[in-house]
Amino acid sequence: MNFYLYLDKKTPIHRLDPRTKLFLLISSFIVATIQQHPIFALIVAMPIFAHGVLSGSLRNIRRIIGLLVAIGILAALLWSIQAKGVTPLFWKFQVEPLLYGISTGIKIDSMIVAGIIFLSTTKNEEVAIGLVKLGLPYSFSFAFCTALRLAPTIMGTARMVAQAQKSRGLDLQGGGLLSRMKKYIPLLVPIFLTTLRYTNQLSMALESKGFRAMEKRTFLLEARFKARDYWITLGLLLVLALVIFIRIKGYGEIEGLLL
Amino acid sequence: MAKALQVRNLSFQYKGTDKKVLNSFNFDVEKGELLAIMGPSGAGKTTLISTLNGLIPHLIDGKLEGEVIVDGWNTKEHETRDFATKVGMVFQDFETQLFSTNVALEVAFGPENLALSPGEILRRVRESLRSVGLEGFDEREPATLSGGEKQRLVIASVLAMESNLLCLDEPTSELDPMGKDDIFAIARRLKESKSITMIMVEHNIEEVLGADRIILLKGGKIIAMAPPKTILREVDLLRETGIRPIPITELFVRCRSKYLPLTLREGLESFRKEGWGIDEARYLSLIERDSLRASRYGRVLIEVRGLEYVYEGGLAALKGIDLQIREGEFVAIVGQNGSGKTTLIKHFNGLLVPTKGEVRIEGVDVRQTDILQLAGKIGFVFQNPDHQIFAEKVIDEVSFGPRNFGFPEKGIAERVDRALAAVDLLDSTEADPFSLTKAERQRLAVASVLASAPKVIVLDEPTTGMDYQESIKMMELVQELNKRGHTIVMVTHTMWVVSHYAHRVIVMKDGKMIRDGKTRQILSDLDGLREASLKPQQMVEFGRALGDFAFLSLEECRKCLVP
Repeated sequence: MNFYLYLDKKTPIHRLDPRTKLFLLISSFIVATIQQHPIFALIVAMPIFAHGVLSGSLRNIRRIIGLLVAIGILAALLWSIQAKGVTPLFWKFQVEPLLYGISTGIKIDSMIVAGIIFLSTTKNEEVAIGLVKLGLPYSFSFAFCTALRLAPTIMGTARMVAQAQKSRGLDLQGGGLLSRMKKYIPLLVPIFLTTLRYTNQLSMALESKGFRAMEKRTFLLEARFKARDYWITLGLLLVLALVIFIRIKGYGEIEGLLL
Repeated sequence: MAKALQVRNLSFQYKGTDKKVLNSFNFDVEKGELLAIMGPSGAGKTTLISTLNGLIPHLIDGKLEGEVIVDGWNTKEHETRDFATKVGMVFQDFETQLFSTNVALEVAFGPENLALSPGEILRRVRESLRSVGLEGFDEREPATLSGGEKQRLVIASVLAMESNLLCLDEPTSELDPMGKDDIFAIARRLKESKSITMIMVEHNIEEVLGADRIILLKGGKIIAMAPPKTILREVDLLRETGIRPIPITELFVRCRSKYLPLTLREGLESFRKEGWGIDEARYLSLIERDSLRASRYGRVLIEVRGLEYVYEGGLAALKGIDLQIREGEFVAIVGQNGSGKTTLIKHFNGLLVPTKGEVRIEGVDVRQTDILQLAGKIGFVFQNPDHQIFAEKVIDEVSFGPRNFGFPEKGIAERVDRALAAVDLLDSTEADPFSLTKAERQRLAVASVLASAPKVIVLDEPTTGMDYQESIKMMELVQELNKRGHTIVMVTHTMWVVSHYAHRVIVMKDGKMIRDGKTRQILSDLDGLREASLKPQQMVEFGRALGDFAFLSLEECRKCLVP
């Protein structure tokens, strides 16, 4: 079972400079969250989805489609309960909070999808180079990427530990909140200790391969801004300006919504 | 000639402990030499390796005395990272040494740290991958490689630093037989073609025949240092230091021969020189004993019919398995990594549910029951005890299972005592499980399964990472459980364990069972073994060369031998 998301493809998105991909991710977040109305949220979700198609990331998005639907519905419910509106729909429901909830569900899903696309198209090492080129120290960039890398490893360990404890009769279902929490100790202790041992050995392996031996290091992968990176960055800046302009002008709000 | 390594009065004591792990070591290593370090668990092998590039004292705390000088550099005066161009380190657990997203970048990591130009980095990546036979793997993700390929990748990533001294700490202990062979072939090639100095910690004796010298460690002391030809004939010394002697050598030592062979061919020669023979009647009695044992098995406990299993993502791991296991059997399942062994046994206690076909335990379809009910009947001992140990006391660890299965509290203490007595841990009842050795933790894992008194005990690689004495202790325990009526199903790569203890062997390849029969029959079926890339046992080969005999151990051969 592989929990690592990167898909080794040669799409135009994969070939972009990691900084451009980072900017694409951040822009997706801004664009996805800035408007209030579900129509706008849907309009914005479409280019994000198109980005997913273009970058060949659909396989990973499909893997979590159930999760996306669940999060979408849950978010819609949670956020519509919190808000108040003016137009009654039926029983205790009103139009505006419902619209607001749906819009929030779409926004959260859009952000998750944008994140998945980023991880599907960008190698960890590229993220590190991107961060270094943006002026962050290499140690920090490397730690950040190793953390990304560690997540699948920990999940693999968790799966093995769960199988071992289930075989010894651990039943996580049933019982009150407190007894349930207690039941997780046989899972958490081995996972934690295995991970600790892993990171300890990893640090020795890194040190033995000359990690931080030089003031500056080089990279095999090259990260250079090419014409397409400039064009895309420019395009994204224009889109952001447009979206912010529309927002300031007051479009995209749900009228009568009280938060 | 200049020395590659000088060790002078080296002693080391870990912080917070009161015993020296290394006790005044003195030795030199010449350039181009292949040095093997052997010894039982806890002898100080890994500690010694860790002093060679300054991990001790710079990363690991403790009290270091004496000097380690690598190519003129004292490890006290330079940081570990600065030793990266002088000493290459390959650790036992390859998983913790791979962190990049593809093979090429993994190898590039070291040279990048040296701030080499991209052109030079690429050259080193190419050359290192070629040295370990991984050309064309550049874009592969390390997680998708087999165990043997992963360890080869680790070696390549270390070779890329172009250091002259390469240290390998039990590089093959987690690999299947084919993976092991690949690593040793690489080591031999590197020694011949690049005159790299190599220091290798190794348990496996056949593999150190090619070394220039062997250092034997025990209890933190060097107890012998000599060429293999001398040391490998010291059978008793080897046994004392947790090493399995070469069977053919041990046979001739036990029979008090003056011609001590190291290889099969030398063995046959010595046999002729001694003018010995084999008593066929005695051999036939061995075969009769096998048949008698098989006739005593009870009813069918595990029945598998047309079992197929496809992993999420479409990988077909099992392709039509049919088998029955009866009460009282001792079954070994062998085959390369990825052949489906572990997937198969995970069906026996309901961890996996068949994609197609059925698995019945005592006649009940596993689909109609759940893991909790099955776990009372089938005890499962996983490969790595550290994936399950969590309690603060040994006694709590062992009573975890019985409590979960709802056994009456009154009987639990007795069950726990009996289980701990069986694994020889009764003295450690109140101890912290994490203070035990790896072998003890593995026996603790067996005890925690045993306490629920399951009919069948399934073990996944029960002797991985153990030395010879520990392995024997573990397997004698399993054998004793079998004699007391537990049915044993065991997955293993260790062929001598199969040969000495199993009654029946199932050979797997690519998700299929390609052989299933009595141990004697399967281990002497050389075609079948070859098909599954398994190596024949030396005593079997010896018997075959002398006639149509298949000896499963040197004791069997000794019984049939007429001087």
